[in-house]
Amino acid sequence: MNANPSSAPQAPAHIQARGVCVDFTVAGRVNRVLHDVSLSVPKGGFVSLIGPSGCGKSTLLKVLAGLLPPTAGEVTVAGVPPIEAVRQRRIGIVFQEATLLPWKNALDNVAMLMQVAHAGRSGEQIRQRATDMLRLVGLEHAAQKRPAQLSGGMRQRVSIARALALDPEVLMMDEPFGALDAITREEMSAFLLEIWERTQKTIVLVTHSIDEATFLSREVHVMASNPAKIIEALPIDLPYPRNEDSYAAPEFARATARLRRLLKEGHRQAAAA
Amino acid sequence: MSVVVNRDIVVSPASVEAGPGRVAGARSALVRFVPAFALFVVVLVVWEGIARIFKLPEFVLPPPTAILQVLIAHQRDLGFAAYVTAREVLFGFLLSAVIGAAVALVIARFATFGRALYPLVVLFQTVPKVALAPLFILWFGFDLAPKVMLIVVIAFFPVAINMLVGLQTVDSNLVALMRSVGASRNEILMRIQVPNSLPYLMAGLKVAVTLAVIGAIVGEFAGAQAGLGYMIQFASTQMQTSLVFAALVEVSVLGLLFYYIIEWLEKRYVNWLPGAN
Repeated sequence: MNANPSSAPQAPAHIQARGVCVDFTVAGRVNRVLHDVSLSVPKGGFVSLIGPSGCGKSTLLKVLAGLLPPTAGEVTVAGVPPIEAVRQRRIGIVFQEATLLPWKNALDNVAMLMQVAHAGRSGEQIRQRATDMLRLVGLEHAAQKRPAQLSGGMRQRVSIARALALDPEVLMMDEPFGALDAITREEMSAFLLEIWERTQKTIVLVTHSIDEATFLSREVHVMASNPAKIIEALPIDLPYPRNEDSYAAPEFARATARLRRLLKEGHRQAAAA
Repeated sequence: MSVVVNRDIVVSPASVEAGPGRVAGARSALVRFVPAFALFVVVLVVWEGIARIFKLPEFVLPPPTAILQVLIAHQRDLGFAAYVTAREVLFGFLLSAVIGAAVALVIARFATFGRALYPLVVLFQTVPKVALAPLFILWFGFDLAPKVMLIVVIAFFPVAINMLVGLQTVDSNLVALMRSVGASRNEILMRIQVPNSLPYLMAGLKVAVTLAVIGAIVGEFAGAQAGLGYMIQFASTQMQTSLVFAALVEVSVLGLLFYYIIEWLEKRYVNWLPGAN
């Protein structure tokens, strides 16, 4: 396996999970959703969690983002528990649905969380920051448009701008492009890569697209279900700068082939279990 | 045809805002009224024909032209009666809206108290409200107050139930985001839940306003000295059936007027679809 400098053990981990287990109790029956999951993401890293539907990758992301306390195990983000990291505004979250307010325009949607988080700041400061964020995601011309007037891809850009507006160190993204068509998806991948390179955020992305994970990530964690665990952390040695041509690179083909094999393996294990 | 009907149901917010589109929208609204208006005219003509051909006595079924004559001849009395009833409907409706919204907010905001209040509200809804009219007359007299009270007990429920649905069907991820930036329970209520509930509230208000008209008429039946309901009752005891119909026409116009005022307010201020994301 190629050594990747960013995932070498001496690099200080920005996100660290050790032995994370999550149990859900449904009608008195304990259901183990995550079993003994460990991972580490370096500062400025881009890690994808990939696996079949229902493998617990979204649950893992919720644990990392402080939305769900783990049943067992330890998680730290920037050296503190996720809930504390959330309180310190170190974590930005993007969901599969853009979850915008339909009664507010794009600009006000970007400003929405700032208005609560930075209650001390003036309306003008918040507005300025929201405008900057809209420009960053290439939507300054759509500031006055309501979500219903925007395409799915544009809505998700607004949602990303809203997350970035609080200047978090970490961006947790739960299948952010899952509801988009194939072409828009690839555009959004290129867009996200650019955002990542410009802002130097640490990004954790949940996806079920092998191409998306390969194109975007420095490292892909492959998950299998029943109970969910990470079966392999695969570094992606696809060279930078990555662009449209990267899809045709031999490293891309090698990585996707390997991921496909791993996913099938995980699938077989789940079926046998 | 079916395309036009579909556009009726799903009013896209984009079409509400555009300037030139608005004029076209008004024209197409007029076009849409043509079939309804034509049918209305046909019904009136058939009615007129039946009343004349069979020479029905006017106290059984007056022809529309006779009703129109009464409408014009008694326009002052009818106008005053309509004013009295409209006042009852307006006050009753506004109070229903306030109380309905307050009940919904309390149930949504204070979970424990809400669990206590909700079954009582539903239980109260099963009481036939019309039967309360004589009680309200007994307690509050013959003027405005008993009618307003009767309207409130009839009309607050759809307001409360609709708004409650709107307050509770909030995207849980949105709430999680708000919590993540330290939003308080009240901030989530005011910034997310209340605006989210407005389209639902408007639907509830439309139901409530039609119930408010019914409440006012029933209240006047139970005991009143003026108003369209009082007039209907008085005229029917005098066998002045044309006047009964004339008062009924005014009641309908009143109901339509209130209904479309609310619809206009909705189009103007609540021009998004719930969950349009």
